[in-house]
Amino acid sequence: MADMLIAALLLVGAFFGLVGSWGLVRLPQAMQRLHAPTKATTLGVGGVLLASIAYFGWVRAEWSVHELLITLFLFLTAPLSALMLARAWLHRERERVHAALPRPAASGVDWGTFQPPPEESGSDGAEPRP
Amino acid sequence: MSASAIVALPLLGAILPPLFARAGRTPALLAALAPSVVALLLLWGQAASVFSGVPEEVRVPWVPALGLEWALRIDGLGFFFASLILAIGILIFIYSRGYLAGNEPIGTFYAYLLLFQGAMLGVVLADNLLLLPVFWELTSLSSFLLIGFWCHLPDGRRGARLALAITGAGGLALLAGLILLGEVAGTYRLSELAARQELILASPLAPAILTLILLGAFTKSAQFPFHFWLPHAMAAPTPVSAYLHSATMVKAGLYLLARVWPVFGQTDAWVVWVTGIGAATMLLGATIALFKDDLKALLAYSTVSHLGLVTMLLGLGTPTAVFAAMLHVLMHATFKAALFMNTGIVDHETGLRDLRRLSGLAKVMPLTAGLGTLAALSMAGVPPLNGFVSKEAMLVEVLAARWGGGWPLWGLVGLAAILSAAYAFRYFSALFFGPLRLPEGRIPHDPPALLWGPPLVLVVAVVVLGLWPSLAEPLLAAASAAAVGAHAPWPELALWHGFGAPLVVSAVAFVIGAAMVWHYRALSGRVLAWALPFDGRRAFFSAQEWLVRGAHRLIARVHSGVLGRYVLLLAVVSLAALALGWGMGEGWRPQRAPTPMNGLGLIFAGVGLAAIGLVVRWHHKRLRAVLLTGAVGLVVSLAFLHASAPDLALTQISVEAVTTVLLLLMLFFLPQHDTEPVAKPRGAAAASILIGSVVGLLAWVMMRNDGPNLADYFWSRSVSEGGGSNVVNVILVDFRGYDTFGEITVLGIAALVIYALLQGMQEGVAREHLHAWRFPFALSPTRHPLPFAVTARVMLPFLLMAVFYIFFRGHNAPGGGFIAALLLALAFLIQYMASGLSWTMHRMRLDAHVWIGTGLLVAGATGMAAMGLGAPFLRSAHGEVHIPGIGPVPLASAMGFDLGVLLTVFGAVTLALVQLAHLGQLAGFLPSRTPMDPARPKPSEKEG
Repeated sequence: MADMLIAALLLVGAFFGLVGSWGLVRLPQAMQRLHAPTKATTLGVGGVLLASIAYFGWVRAEWSVHELLITLFLFLTAPLSALMLARAWLHRERERVHAALPRPAASGVDWGTFQPPPEESGSDGAEPRP
Repeated sequence: MSASAIVALPLLGAILPPLFARAGRTPALLAALAPSVVALLLLWGQAASVFSGVPEEVRVPWVPALGLEWALRIDGLGFFFASLILAIGILIFIYSRGYLAGNEPIGTFYAYLLLFQGAMLGVVLADNLLLLPVFWELTSLSSFLLIGFWCHLPDGRRGARLALAITGAGGLALLAGLILLGEVAGTYRLSELAARQELILASPLAPAILTLILLGAFTKSAQFPFHFWLPHAMAAPTPVSAYLHSATMVKAGLYLLARVWPVFGQTDAWVVWVTGIGAATMLLGATIALFKDDLKALLAYSTVSHLGLVTMLLGLGTPTAVFAAMLHVLMHATFKAALFMNTGIVDHETGLRDLRRLSGLAKVMPLTAGLGTLAALSMAGVPPLNGFVSKEAMLVEVLAARWGGGWPLWGLVGLAAILSAAYAFRYFSALFFGPLRLPEGRIPHDPPALLWGPPLVLVVAVVVLGLWPSLAEPLLAAASAAAVGAHAPWPELALWHGFGAPLVVSAVAFVIGAAMVWHYRALSGRVLAWALPFDGRRAFFSAQEWLVRGAHRLIARVHSGVLGRYVLLLAVVSLAALALGWGMGEGWRPQRAPTPMNGLGLIFAGVGLAAIGLVVRWHHKRLRAVLLTGAVGLVVSLAFLHASAPDLALTQISVEAVTTVLLLLMLFFLPQHDTEPVAKPRGAAAASILIGSVVGLLAWVMMRNDGPNLADYFWSRSVSEGGGSNVVNVILVDFRGYDTFGEITVLGIAALVIYALLQGMQEGVAREHLHAWRFPFALSPTRHPLPFAVTARVMLPFLLMAVFYIFFRGHNAPGGGFIAALLLALAFLIQYMASGLSWTMHRMRLDAHVWIGTGLLVAGATGMAAMGLGAPFLRSAHGEVHIPGIGPVPLASAMGFDLGVLLTVFGAVTLALVQLAHLGQLAGFLPSRTPMDPARPKPSEKEG
């Protein structure tokens, strides 16, 4: 029974890992490719970690929380990497894509990364040097 | 023991004047006088033992294997010179107080002078052939500092360099000569050399030894053809000229000649060369001195001439000539120091030293004129002053000399006597008498007592020693006896020896000298038109220029700036060394069967090779190359893990992470476009393949080896002797702790070099360049997004916990100070990336320098603690500590050392990072305006 569960978790993990890698190779645009490793692969790693918990808990009878910590850190860092990559892409490709980007409803508001934060607006934050 | 104190007092006392100078100039003077006066009293306390012929000795082994020992000996010769050094030093200190202007750093000046004094005392009291050159070079160094004391004047700097180069080179020759001498004689004790004279002279090396020692002595004492540095050293403040460059330092060469006199003093080579060079220098110096209008230049060349005179006396090879030499050293020191001080007063009062623009000063400064005239008359050798006594003694000795039958030398000396009478007469008659001529707007008068007191003391000595020269007899007899190594019937000193050839020569010299001064204008016009062709200074500087140009050419060829070429050179040399070692070995045959290849290993190898291949393919695309190199590192660390080396894997992966980030930061400052790929990298490819195969082969050989090896040794002793089961860490902090200590020191130095280099980039052209930097695309106003900053701060405690964990378990499980340091650096790096440099630095509190320094101190202190307990440096102790709630914790004192490693490594990494980040700020990579900080400083505060 435990073996079956562990095997299933491993398979699920492996499947998502494969999907993530496949997507990284096959998806046509940078922003699309971003989804593959940050979402699918994270899930895949999560599956493997769950399998590890199950294995050590049932088969070896050693309960451990390492995996939970790893999951926590992964869930913290993966979205962050995605965020930073997306921001970098926005800046690199600004001239080409800025007009085509969807706008928030309120007028005069741009994407967060292009405008200074509200309380500081009006200052010349965008300039490299004051 | 007092011998050590005599030398050490001025050296250590050099700290005092700069401290006391804050309280004022007079306290600084007192602080400078105190060590000298105490040393002089201690020295004179030894008088009884010196005169009884049983000198006090101090011997402390220093490096016994080299024959170096702290050996001091106060014999007659040392006593004589040391008294001179200390007594004149005290007068000079007092004089300097009046001479230096109020805004000049008199504390520093006294510190240099004391340093010189201590070094000079070391030279004349050292009884070890290796200790003497140490002090010898110290005198050259302190002389350099003193000549260049007015370092804002180009003349001062140039004169200082010239003097250091000449005397320093001579010092090296001397060192070589003394080492040869010590080896040949079989002893490094100066006092034992005389007894081994036959052994030394029989050696085929004797001529080389003599040549090298003479080079040292002649450069120091400004003998022809090395005399030219001395006049240029006159750019120094006048007290320095009086002290170093007439009374003491330049006499170190004479001292040395007297010291080796018992060994070489009666050989033919000695007599020919020392007498010859001395006579030539004497004549040359006197000739040039006569035609100098600058008072200090006149005195400088006159000093050269008198040094030549003493050298010649030492070369004559008779004990009585040595006595005459010592006599003249004493007399010259008194009248020449007085004359220099006199010149200093004139300079101080009129602002000029030019004989063509000054005259008749006796009318406005009678006291100065009186002192100067007396001293100059003594220099001319006029009775009843002390110069006359020593000149008479010199003439007697020359007449009795065996070389040249006496008469040719006699002629030379007579000529020199005429010339020196002439320039001495010219000094006072042109300066103090005749019509009053002054620079406009200056009304000079006699200076305060601080300035005329010291020369007055010297002039009193000039007169007293002239009237009753026998007063100095015991001192000189002791000095000469120590120099010659035996007691001889020393000539009796008296003012009046009756009529004889010397007196005739003197009288003739006075008459002709006076006549030359009378007709000076006509004479100088004729001579100066026929200027001396040889200019030592110009020759020196053109030689220097030639050397620099040659060095540049050599560097341009060797140091081409092509990184690949350096690596190639390094590799070729290592391969050659390897081939040599292999050829000297006994051959090799595999001892262990190869282990079968497994699948995982194959995969690692395949991925690693693929990554390497891609690096080669994309070597010209910087970003890719850096990332791929990181990938290779990751594969290697996986391979380590696979081969059961978790320690290495952990180290490798943290090193990889830190270096990749640092390299990426560096890329920021390189051009943002790719370079051209190397067109035909055939040579590089061949070399790489060759080196790679050789290294691979070596690894293979190592792995096929069997039998006892170092690894077994460490494995078996790690727990029992190092107190830790993590062998890698125990090796690092215990078995090879000394090695690690050296490595972290090098790392700290490397970090400081990075600091220096990058600090330099923040100025000048590089700064302009960075300012002009334009990014290829617009930067975000929110440089540090909120989610990133928050996450990074949440992660920080976890990371620090990991650092502690890795560090504390390091002795027994994978981990240790180095890995912990890299993790700590990573934690810091993450904060830097998330919140910017200023935010991070604001919270670091401690400078990276402090981390490095503290780390080295902690590591060193751990090692010293073992020494304090009587064990060798870095010997480790270990045991178990029971901590309630945690259980038994094995502790080793090596952990303190490991802590030092941690601090140093962390400091080095952050120093590099912070410097790079500073450059980024210069380039406009400013921090975000919203640092997202609860305790955020007000906008008015600096956040840059």
